[in-house]
Amino acid sequence: MSGIIEVENLSFGYMRRGLILKELSFEVMAGTFLAIAGPNGAGKTTLLNLLCGLLSPNAGLIKIDSADIDSYSIKELAQKVAVVRQEFVPVFDFTVTETVSMARTPYLGIFGFESKSDRQIVNEAMEATDTAQFTSRTLGSLSSGERQRVFIARALAQDTPIVLLDEPTSFLDLKHQVGIYDLLKRAQLEKGKTIVAVTHDINLAAQYADVALLLGGDCSYHTGIPQAIFLPEQIERVFGVKTFAGNVGEEKFFLPLGKLAKDVGIITTNTNRDKKQ
Amino acid sequence: MAEILTSKHLLIKVSIGLAVLAVIMCLCALVGTQKISLEKALAGPGDKAGENIDYEIFVGVRLPRVILAALVGAALACSGVVLQAILRNPLADPYILGISSGAGLGVIIAVLSGVSFSFWGGSPIAAFAFTGATITVWLVWYIGHFTGKSQVTGLLLAGVVINAFFSAVIMFLTSIARSQELRSTVLWLMGNITEKDFSELRVSAVCILGGIIGLFTISHKLNILTFGEEEAKALGVDTGQSKVVAFGLAAFITAVAVGLSGLIGFVGLIIPHGVRLVFGPDHRQLLPLSAIIGSIFLIIADTIARVIVAPAQLPVGVITAITGGPFFLILLARYSRKISWLK
Amino acid sequence: MNKWWLLVVILCLGGVGFVIFGVQQGQSEQALPLPAKPRRIVSLAPNLTEILFALGLDEQIVAVSNDSDYPPESANRKKVGTFWQPNIEAVIAAKPGLVITLSFEQQKAVAETLNRLGYQVLTLKTEKLEELWTAIKKIGIATGHKRQADMLVKNMKTQFRDLQSKFSSTNKVKVLWVVGVENLCVAGRNTFINELIEMVGGENAIGPTVSQYPQIGTEELITCGAEIIIQSAMRTRSISEQQRAAEAFWSKWANLPAVKNNRIYVVDSDLVLRLGPRLTQGAEMVARCLHPDTFTQE
Repeated sequence: MSGIIEVENLSFGYMRRGLILKELSFEVMAGTFLAIAGPNGAGKTTLLNLLCGLLSPNAGLIKIDSADIDSYSIKELAQKVAVVRQEFVPVFDFTVTETVSMARTPYLGIFGFESKSDRQIVNEAMEATDTAQFTSRTLGSLSSGERQRVFIARALAQDTPIVLLDEPTSFLDLKHQVGIYDLLKRAQLEKGKTIVAVTHDINLAAQYADVALLLGGDCSYHTGIPQAIFLPEQIERVFGVKTFAGNVGEEKFFLPLGKLAKDVGIITTNTNRDKKQ
Repeated sequence: MAEILTSKHLLIKVSIGLAVLAVIMCLCALVGTQKISLEKALAGPGDKAGENIDYEIFVGVRLPRVILAALVGAALACSGVVLQAILRNPLADPYILGISSGAGLGVIIAVLSGVSFSFWGGSPIAAFAFTGATITVWLVWYIGHFTGKSQVTGLLLAGVVINAFFSAVIMFLTSIARSQELRSTVLWLMGNITEKDFSELRVSAVCILGGIIGLFTISHKLNILTFGEEEAKALGVDTGQSKVVAFGLAAFITAVAVGLSGLIGFVGLIIPHGVRLVFGPDHRQLLPLSAIIGSIFLIIADTIARVIVAPAQLPVGVITAITGGPFFLILLARYSRKISWLK
Repeated sequence: MNKWWLLVVILCLGGVGFVIFGVQQGQSEQALPLPAKPRRIVSLAPNLTEILFALGLDEQIVAVSNDSDYPPESANRKKVGTFWQPNIEAVIAAKPGLVITLSFEQQKAVAETLNRLGYQVLTLKTEKLEELWTAIKKIGIATGHKRQADMLVKNMKTQFRDLQSKFSSTNKVKVLWVVGVENLCVAGRNTFINELIEMVGGENAIGPTVSQYPQIGTEELITCGAEIIIQSAMRTRSISEQQRAAEAFWSKWANLPAVKNNRIYVVDSDLVLRLGPRLTQGAEMVARCLHPDTFTQE
């Protein structure tokens, strides 16, 4: 299976905007859950696009399973890396089953008909994501959360060692946010997949990720375990907002303080009360 | 369609479709301004030429027309399916990317230059229309690639611009043309199914059927292309190559169809929709079934055009528009729950 | 990427090549039919019908076009579609030994198909006077009535020559021939109508144009100095009604000599636009419009 991602001295910038990523280096071992966080424009989605071969680096190397990403053909790469972007409704109304089955494309023959084993993999992916109940529903008739699960099912059916996700929980309610992360964690633990999720939600990311990559927005970056990366001073510096840090058990959580920042006095009192308990 | 398509299911559906097509072709070949009977027609040409009129009419007049209508209908319907997929636009039709004005320009140039290939079998107008259409499509593709990031938008814009520009050129040439030639150009462009030579039909059949089969081999990729460029690449589809093949073949069969019968509208737009409404958007099924239903549709439309105001004939485009419109509305009403993008 | 482009281009060129070269060669020239006199003749145009009857082929004519309304005998012949849209099935059903057609686009397609199916087809061009003589002679040879054809041509030529000589010395009369009133279209100098006009001592009020039937603007109209205005009648209304309407219409351009002298004529276009045996009558009719005094004496 594998699923090792190695990034060495990666530099990338769009034509007129200057470098977004500068000499970025990190490594993701097989079967780890990496969360990529950072302010808007820091290059999170850009990095994701680089990792799935959509963009080419200006300088540096990206290696998937010890081979340069450029050495893979589009089909081969699709057998290594699956991408889940934000959910959407396609122009034509494919059913859920048809959509998830499209994941098998990199493995199909010339006329593109699925074999029995392909169909089985699709079914399993749909079971795992609790979308088996939607087999003949069209994508347009589902809710956002359900649709996102379908796209994740598709990524799972693609049977790749690496799954990249771009903000998989935006536009989802709390229940679905947790549900998706649970799902991804299960895929990682049960199937040994490498999960790379770009996220705005540092709290959830911190709960689920094994490794975190914080892009500073000024070409700076920090990698390490979430506890080491998501520190109050770091967060405040990178995101430019005052935060309130608290603990639930051993895990930290961060609350952005907007209006509350002015009323610091009230917060301090509450923290004391928490500490007593 | 609860489950996904299997090759067996598809084969069954296509076989039934082809059987229906064959029956319709025979039935329509027996309809016309002169009454003929099948047994008399099958009796053969008779001892003297022109002896058995039933045979003469059936084989010389009706069959070629029915076959041509089948070919053109299939080509236009398939082309519509493919273009709607590549452009991710349900309102695309085979002429959207400049083919109509390119063919028109080719025709006008042929007529004005007074070219007469009287020693070749095919009409010179047909060859010029085909060439004009092909060159224009190539031009649109080329220009489309240089505009903006979204290739699809670029193509559409280039198509609109080229159509507008060529239409202006056509209008200019029309205004300075001698009236006689003008009439024949306009008439030709209106779209007509006529009786053609069997060898010409053979060549066209090879081109069109070849193109359709070629498109079938990438039809599963078309499914994925409708999800967008990035999505398709992530699923292992070489979008550049697929789009070139799809576009090239679709443009080719459309150009052949236009060369054979002028600009027949509506078929390429509504047949894909109709078939999609009933059978779903899976292109592995949509493509062959659209070809068959496109054939059936145009054969019936041409038959109506031949007899409804006999002894005169209506251009077949009139019938396709009049029958196509309401037919589509009925389909829409019945299966509207399937359409998500209308909500 | 480039490979694919090349493939597509080759496909297209191949397609073009196929369509042009791959098709079987049809008949190269118009082969004249067999020497035997054809028993069943079908005519696809009214002027051809008139010529056939004029050559005495009454018995052989089995079918004519819908709009062949002269001579009256053509009324009881089978009809095979209009001059504009011949009905090929009806033609075949008439079991023709010889089909006579004109050479413009729609009829050419029908002619080609009939030819391909093995029928004898004679395609003629009759847009100019010279072409008319050739056409009549060809019909004569094809139907074995060569003598009658030559006679007809000779008679018509003589009549034309007489007309021409009658008016060769008179001053040229400026004529404006209107074919469409709505979008003022006139007959230009490279039309057959012009030939007729010039034959009877007239001159087209409009100078040379590219179009055969150009649309002319008001400016051109005011300055053309037409002394006669002739309008082709439409079949929809009676000639006298159209005459009144025309006079009312043209009264707007009071400066034109034609309007001032009330020389506006609405004529039956069949006689002048149908290039057939009655053309001499048509020419005479036009002459009457141009030189009314010459004819009042007779």
